[in-house]
Amino acid sequence: MSVEPFNKLVKLAARAFYDDITTKGDNQPKNGRSDNRGIAVVVLDALTRRQWVREEDLAKDLKLHSKQLRRTLRFFEEEKLVTRDHRRETAKGAKIFSAAVAATVDGQHPKDGDEKIKMHTHSYCCLDYAQIYDVVRYRLHRMKKKLKDELEDKNTVQEYICPNCSKRYNALDALRLISLVDEYFHCESCNGELVAESDKLVAQEGGDGDDNARRRRREKLKDMLQKMEVQLKPLMDQLARVKDLTVPEFGSLLAWEARASAASRAANGDSNGNDPSRSSQGGYSATPMPFLGDTKVVVEFTEPDGKGEDIKSIAESTGLKVLPPWMIKQGMNLTKEQRGDVKQETMMDGSLSAAETSDDKKSITGNDEKKILQDEYYKAYYAAILEAAAKQTEEMSNTQMSNSESSASSSRQVGIKSKRDEDEGDDDVGWEEAPVAGNNANENYKVNDLNVEADPIADDDDEDDVDWEEEVGTVSASIRQYSSSHLGCVVVMPYPDLKHGMVLTLLFPFWFQKVVPFEFFRSVKHVYKFNHFTYY
Amino acid sequence: MFFHIVLERNMQLHPRHFGRNLRDNIVSKLMKDVEGTCSGRHGFVVAITGIENIGKGLIRDGTGFVTFPVKYQCVVFRPFKGEILEAVVTMVNKMGFFAEAGPVQIFVSNHLIPDDMEFQSGDMPNYTTSDGSVKIQKDSEVRLKIIGTRVDATEIFCIGTIKDDFLGVINDPAAA
Ligand SMILES: [Zn+2]
Repeated sequence: MSVEPFNKLVKLAARAFYDDITTKGDNQPKNGRSDNRGIAVVVLDALTRRQWVREEDLAKDLKLHSKQLRRTLRFFEEEKLVTRDHRRETAKGAKIFSAAVAATVDGQHPKDGDEKIKMHTHSYCCLDYAQIYDVVRYRLHRMKKKLKDELEDKNTVQEYICPNCSKRYNALDALRLISLVDEYFHCESCNGELVAESDKLVAQEGGDGDDNARRRRREKLKDMLQKMEVQLKPLMDQLARVKDLTVPEFGSLLAWEARASAASRAANGDSNGNDPSRSSQGGYSATPMPFLGDTKVVVEFTEPDGKGEDIKSIAESTGLKVLPPWMIKQGMNLTKEQRGDVKQETMMDGSLSAAETSDDKKSITGNDEKKILQDEYYKAYYAAILEAAAKQTEEMSNTQMSNSESSASSSRQVGIKSKRDEDEGDDDVGWEEAPVAGNNANENYKVNDLNVEADPIADDDDEDDVDWEEEVGTVSASIRQYSSSHLGCVVVMPYPDLKHGMVLTLLFPFWFQKVVPFEFFRSVKHVYKFNHFTYY
Repeated sequence: MFFHIVLERNMQLHPRHFGRNLRDNIVSKLMKDVEGTCSGRHGFVVAITGIENIGKGLIRDGTGFVTFPVKYQCVVFRPFKGEILEAVVTMVNKMGFFAEAGPVQIFVSNHLIPDDMEFQSGDMPNYTTSDGSVKIQKDSEVRLKIIGTRVDATEIFCIGTIKDDFLGVINDPAAA
């Protein structure tokens, strides 16, 4: 584990980026004495010669005020160059550290601290080489990208100019400028055809003051980019050199301390009373400091009641990753688990609740009801996807689907469906009724199967359109969600434009969104009342 | 970006709506009035998710109308500069193309379309790469980055780019 190339990297980076960093408090006056530029470089250089170091000691070595040092270190912590650790410890605990230091750094001796039992908070710091490597690379990448983007006009708003009256527009006016006649933009005042203002045009015309300024800016950008390439070359070379080397890793403060004292014991071969390892044992038990080991991430799901168990059961029962339904297209070779079908048994949903199910409790328990609702939702979902994918074979595919998928639960659905029609009379009923009317062609299906109901919409358009107008209000009034196929939940949000809606998948820790055509919403028959919305 | 926020609004209600269903009437009127609207500050109100509280009504002099202050939770959609969105192309022309991400209209001008894509006119105008492997036409789904927004009191219009890593067509209706 060679630290040297990495130390060189740190030193180069320090000089390139942190040379003129001042870390003074805002309230301090700006005078010559408080000008502490260059200190950042000194501190980083000092750290390259150490591993974990107590900040007090470092301050003493550098003859800096500890406050000033701490400010600098806090800055580097934010810059992700330095890791810091704080702990409350007795003077004895501090001695353990000193012993560890003595083992790694020559010429330093553990000083005899007084044996008071007073607790002090000590801070330690250390360079994080792995992160430094990434941070420096990222910084260079961002610098280059920013200059290049600006140079290539990547993020600039295109401007348009009218050749007749030289009125100027920009891309944000686009909506007003499109003409119904042709594919060009037209001037609002003289209806002239607008031309995009390109740099070429500017160059030809010689340009007015504004354009000159722009050209100068471009020159400057180009210049900066070139200078950057030249001046940062040593740094980039060093990055390339370091690329395939193993990164020196000191681990957390405790791990490092333990390792260092073990090494020193092995070197000394003795075990006297002041053996660091032994006293370290005592030190740990004496200080009420918790073990600060590896970072553990605990994910808390803020879903109500049974949701947590739900997640676990999914994770255990399905080794395969469950794909969100909208990612599933016809022809994809997926297992049932990937389609999320398995959850019919394992899921125990907490997110869909009360509003709708409460009325149905008479004959069915709430839980069963929820499961069924979700089963139905899946089927509707698949039906919609298949419908879009293969319009001509839709009858066929739906027959298959409904037969295969609903066989398990269709008997239960019969009872529920009839109830549903009564119960939803107030609000969401539009969803239920529109398609049922055109359903006689499909008598051989289970009448209450959702997939079947989803189909006829395509057939009887005229009737549907009327209902549809009304439905939009109702639909946008409700958000349907289900929560079983992923960790997280899916929120379906219709847009008021009558054409699209948004499926928002909140899948911890990511979220996806997907625009779907409104046909999709037509095929969703049950509008789930929206009760819990967890967003990140 | 979507936000779940609490907004407040004064609802004026005709006395004929009073009675047993007063609350329901207020809520349904609120949904009708608010959902689908756009304010520059909050963005598009996508859906009302709950009513926090309906305050005491105040009778208007002369008309008999009553004003209720209503606090409601809603999901709003507000596009931001730098945000990545997926959108459906609605129109393609020589100047670029228009796309919609739900209620938001986005214009991508031709200089923000990758240089290797050329405009092809015809009854189905499109932008196509020279080898024809990628095509942007009406109903294509694209992933784009918003580089500018125009926010008026009641309207939000965006311009976007697909000239960056991982942007561009995400599904081609012609191929499906
Ligand atoms: Zn003009």
